[in-house]
Amino acid sequence: MRDSVRFIRQGRVVELKSFGPTETLLDHLRLTERACGTKEGCNEGDCGACTVAVGTHEDGKVVYRPVNACILFVGQLDGKEIVTVEDIAGSGGLHPVQQAMVDHHGSQCGFCTPGIVMSLFALYQDAGRATPPPRAVIDEWLSGNLCRCTGYRPIVEAARTALSAPPDDMFTRSAEATGGVLQFLADAEDVFVGTDQRFFAAPRSVEALAALYERHPDATLVAGATDVGLWITKQFRPVEKVIHLGRVDGLDRIEDVGPAVIIGATATYEAATDALAGIDPDIGAVVRRIGSRQVRASGTIGGNIANGSPIGDTPPMLIALGATLELVSAKANRAVPLEDFFIAYGRQDRQPGEFVAGVLVPKLKAGQVFRAYKISKRFDQDISAVMGAFLFTLADGVITEARIAFGGLAGTPKRAAAVEARLIGVAPGSAAAWSPAMEAFAEDFQPLTDMRASAHYRLETARALLGKALLETAGAPTTRTRVIGQREARQEGAHVGA
Amino acid sequence: MNAPALSAVIGQPVSRVDGPAKVTGTARYAAEFVPDGLAYASVVSATIPRGRIRALDTSAAEGMPGVLAVVSHRNAPKLPYLERDQRPPVDPKSGDQLRMFQDDKVLFNGQPVAVVIADSQQEADAAARCIGIAYDETEPTTTFDPGRGRPPSEETAKGGRPGAAGRGDGAAGLAEAATTVDVTYVQAREHHNAIEPHATIAQWDGDSLTLYDKSQWVQNVVVEIAHVFGIEAGKIRVISPFVGGAFGSALRTWPHVTIAAIAAKMTGRPVRVELSRRQLYHSVGFRPHTLQRVRLGAAPDGRLTAILQDAAAQVATYEEYAETTLQPAETTYSCPNVATAYRLVEMDTNSPCPMRGPGIVTGLYALEAAMDELAVALNVDPVALRLKNHADINEKTGLPWSSKALKACYETAAERFGWADRIAAPRSMRIGTDLVGYGMATAIYHADRAPAEAEVILFANGTAVVRTAASDMGPGTYTSITQIAADELGLPVEAIRFELGDSTLPMAPVHGGSITLVSVGSAVAEACAAVRQKLEALTGEGSIAERLRANGLDRLAASAKASPGEETKRYASSAFGAVFVEVRVDEGLGTLRVKRMTGAYDVGRVINPKIARSQCIGGMMGGLGMALMEAAEWDPRFGKVMNANLAEYLVPVCADTPALDVTFVPSEDTVLNPLGAKGLAEIAICGVAPAIANAVFHATGRRQRHIPIRPEDLIGT
Repeated sequence: MRDSVRFIRQGRVVELKSFGPTETLLDHLRLTERACGTKEGCNEGDCGACTVAVGTHEDGKVVYRPVNACILFVGQLDGKEIVTVEDIAGSGGLHPVQQAMVDHHGSQCGFCTPGIVMSLFALYQDAGRATPPPRAVIDEWLSGNLCRCTGYRPIVEAARTALSAPPDDMFTRSAEATGGVLQFLADAEDVFVGTDQRFFAAPRSVEALAALYERHPDATLVAGATDVGLWITKQFRPVEKVIHLGRVDGLDRIEDVGPAVIIGATATYEAATDALAGIDPDIGAVVRRIGSRQVRASGTIGGNIANGSPIGDTPPMLIALGATLELVSAKANRAVPLEDFFIAYGRQDRQPGEFVAGVLVPKLKAGQVFRAYKISKRFDQDISAVMGAFLFTLADGVITEARIAFGGLAGTPKRAAAVEARLIGVAPGSAAAWSPAMEAFAEDFQPLTDMRASAHYRLETARALLGKALLETAGAPTTRTRVIGQREARQEGAHVGA
Repeated sequence: MNAPALSAVIGQPVSRVDGPAKVTGTARYAAEFVPDGLAYASVVSATIPRGRIRALDTSAAEGMPGVLAVVSHRNAPKLPYLERDQRPPVDPKSGDQLRMFQDDKVLFNGQPVAVVIADSQQEADAAARCIGIAYDETEPTTTFDPGRGRPPSEETAKGGRPGAAGRGDGAAGLAEAATTVDVTYVQAREHHNAIEPHATIAQWDGDSLTLYDKSQWVQNVVVEIAHVFGIEAGKIRVISPFVGGAFGSALRTWPHVTIAAIAAKMTGRPVRVELSRRQLYHSVGFRPHTLQRVRLGAAPDGRLTAILQDAAAQVATYEEYAETTLQPAETTYSCPNVATAYRLVEMDTNSPCPMRGPGIVTGLYALEAAMDELAVALNVDPVALRLKNHADINEKTGLPWSSKALKACYETAAERFGWADRIAAPRSMRIGTDLVGYGMATAIYHADRAPAEAEVILFANGTAVVRTAASDMGPGTYTSITQIAADELGLPVEAIRFELGDSTLPMAPVHGGSITLVSVGSAVAEACAAVRQKLEALTGEGSIAERLRANGLDRLAASAKASPGEETKRYASSAFGAVFVEVRVDEGLGTLRVKRMTGAYDVGRVINPKIARSQCIGGMMGGLGMALMEAAEWDPRFGKVMNANLAEYLVPVCADTPALDVTFVPSEDTVLNPLGAKGLAEIAICGVAPAIANAVFHATGRRQRHIPIRPEDLIGT
């Protein structure tokens, strides 16, 4: 048992023994370290001014990811390296990213600048990126950085210049040493800082987690904290006991088991993207638009399910695919079809002491077609107005089984049972035969009008998405249907560095 | 000494001199100063739209760890809030500003009602949650009902926002028209949402007060706080070296500045007040929700016979903020008959305030959208209609323009955009199944200048310091003024340090309305000329450094004041522009995307093309947000903005930036100021929203007479 957390800061190992269980990394930097280069713009993970790069050791390499320091708890940094805007200029002058930002006038008021510099710094370190990456990749890495002054174009130009050569800076040159220290920090100890009444804990194994959670069923489980962070910074909920899942061995597994893929509860969106996109490219296209790069680097598929949001983007897709949730406690393990896990708004089928261990996602079988669409006002970093996922099984040119699920149309992610029933025997290309299914939407859903969209828009869009899915299943070109949000689609695969 | 080479630096794309500080995180903003013993405040906001505080229980909060004080109307000092001889141009002309903790009244949801001061921010926030408040609510007015609209007060009218204005006979002009349009538009309430939240640190030293503040006008903060506390202005210093964006939200001295000073006084510690993102929505103003009716009349040849434009804007109950919304109706086009009517609709809300292009951008949205409707009704090209009605003089004042190259803007932008390819009929252009729309609009924003002073000090080591109490909220004042000084002194940019953002520096006007460059720049140029004259009076020759040393001097200083003169009575000045936009609409899903925007601008002489281009691109993206995303969602049940955060108040992200083309047409305005510049910031957001709205009509054949335009407006047919 270790009663401290340790991380690398400016080349040195920092050990913290005394900190609040929900103290954020941003408060640690700005108020404790008095390192004010990292800015506070919104304190809820929306603006990206607080972006810092977090280094981890993976597969023999040091990998840097941009994260929002404002909704990350400092304890979650155990075993990692924290790099801020103050740290990257070497003795020889500005970092290439910084220099390009100056040269291209990528900074006006300068307040979003540190966050933008750090998002681009993380992309700079990606050894697999193109030199320079295409616009779509730059957009994606900047999707979580709001700028009100520049109109972004000078920043994109700066990015192109800074990223026109492979990474070569003091971080790449010291990667081996850094990796060594990170490996040393990744010890086998369970972490527990605080008292039984108020603590930050980071168990190392599923067994230790189950035992700790059984003892403290009132503790809050935290994976990426992109949601729980807001409980603290915006809702001011008193959270005294935090169990961080990030150190639990194997909980972040992503495993291909033949007919299905298992996504561990703490696998981040970013880590799971390729495995999910391997089932169908549409899943990758949707996941790439969840939150921002920063949110996807921290947020997890398991968290997106476990918090039961009616507008979470992954559950409709996973429900349509027939995914099964694996729930674990100190007493027993059980599997639940994902659609049964969501009972009602804010209520899930999870018992005290029970946690999500992973989700089993079946791959497509022969004769199956999958489509998923996210509709939001803003292309990037926006909550869906409607999220639709469709799985059709076809034989002899007609649909023999349909699994359709929507987000944003009800209090939970929900299947469209009546619509599905009316599609059996329908040839997807014959629009005349769709009308019973289109009419059945009113049986399945009575959506609300709220500031994100009107009930009318939600239902009409849901119908339009079904039409698109059917047309595409019948062989219509798919490019246009990736036109979602404010502008045209990305080439598939644009989310990866290359 | 040789005369400096003419324009060696002015006109060059110099990189911003504050760039390295900003990209390394060393630029220090208001919240980041750390005086010894700094304590932290958490502001408690009212949760009802109108009423009185019946009971306020602070006992639990006062006993919490780290808490130094809880201040409310029950224990705050009574402050004199002295009336100023003349209200500053950034303040409403009528009504009373919100007074902090002086009584139990609640005037809007979100009004500060108490503040907790503690050793740490976390402790202050935690204690703020534990203050119990009971209210006696009274019936609030939380709906925008134009029927309740009233004309502005006399003071407001005198300040250039009259209830009625115009020339000729609007009704007669409309009656004689062959073609008319009569249309109504809605502009949503918008929030500045600069990325830096507003913050103030107050530190008392005896009866002297230092404020580290986010401000676009440090010297006005001094005067304002002196009046609030009834102390001498000479005892107050305001420091604001960097401002993380403001767009008008930091023009005024807001109540939280007073809160910081009260909190510091009562605890005997320096205190930081930093507003949360959510608090900003009810603490520092906004662009008001505005309803407008535009009636245009035209002769068969397209000449305007009448412009009638009415506006009704929301306003707070306690203070009368009004805008120059209807000025474009009077100045943009040549027309013998113009009539405007301005009304204010009181609501229980915090006071609105200027936001980039204040008033003008709102009025221009309606005017330029209506001009597009008129072009359709007349079956003429929208550009041709505007050229037909070009205002050769400012017909509001009858004065000639000091410079105007608007025709060149239309021509250049249309050419670069490829306007000639536009098929006039709506719904006639498609790419695949996307509808394609081309739209355009005129941009206009008055160019002003104010008195300013500057000091220049030459040093024997060959460097110089330029000093004035200006601000730089991001547009590049540090850099452009340095360039002006470099040219005037014949020194390289690197040899000059420009100090601003400190109220003890020479007088500078408000950093708003795009006046900083021409006002402060002119003063700096004159101060440089004055110091050069002094230098020339010295014996010896060679460089500045050599001559100072030869005379045994380690420095040589001179100051100057530069003011606008008689020319303002003989000329009208304005920046102009033309904006062209292409949109793509998918009616199946209601999605819209701006494919590209082209802007051509007449801003006078461009001091730094790199900075100027960036300003324009940023302004155009602000206009895109205005047209398609930005809106406060108002809940009339609570008199509150529901989407008071950056997840749900949408602003453009990087991926929303289309191809943007910015050109400056040749122009120089040496009447407005010797530099020949006209100022550049507001103009860049003007005209963008109507150009997009007009393009949406061209694409879909359906008029959207409100902004923002949303997917649900565009779905289906």
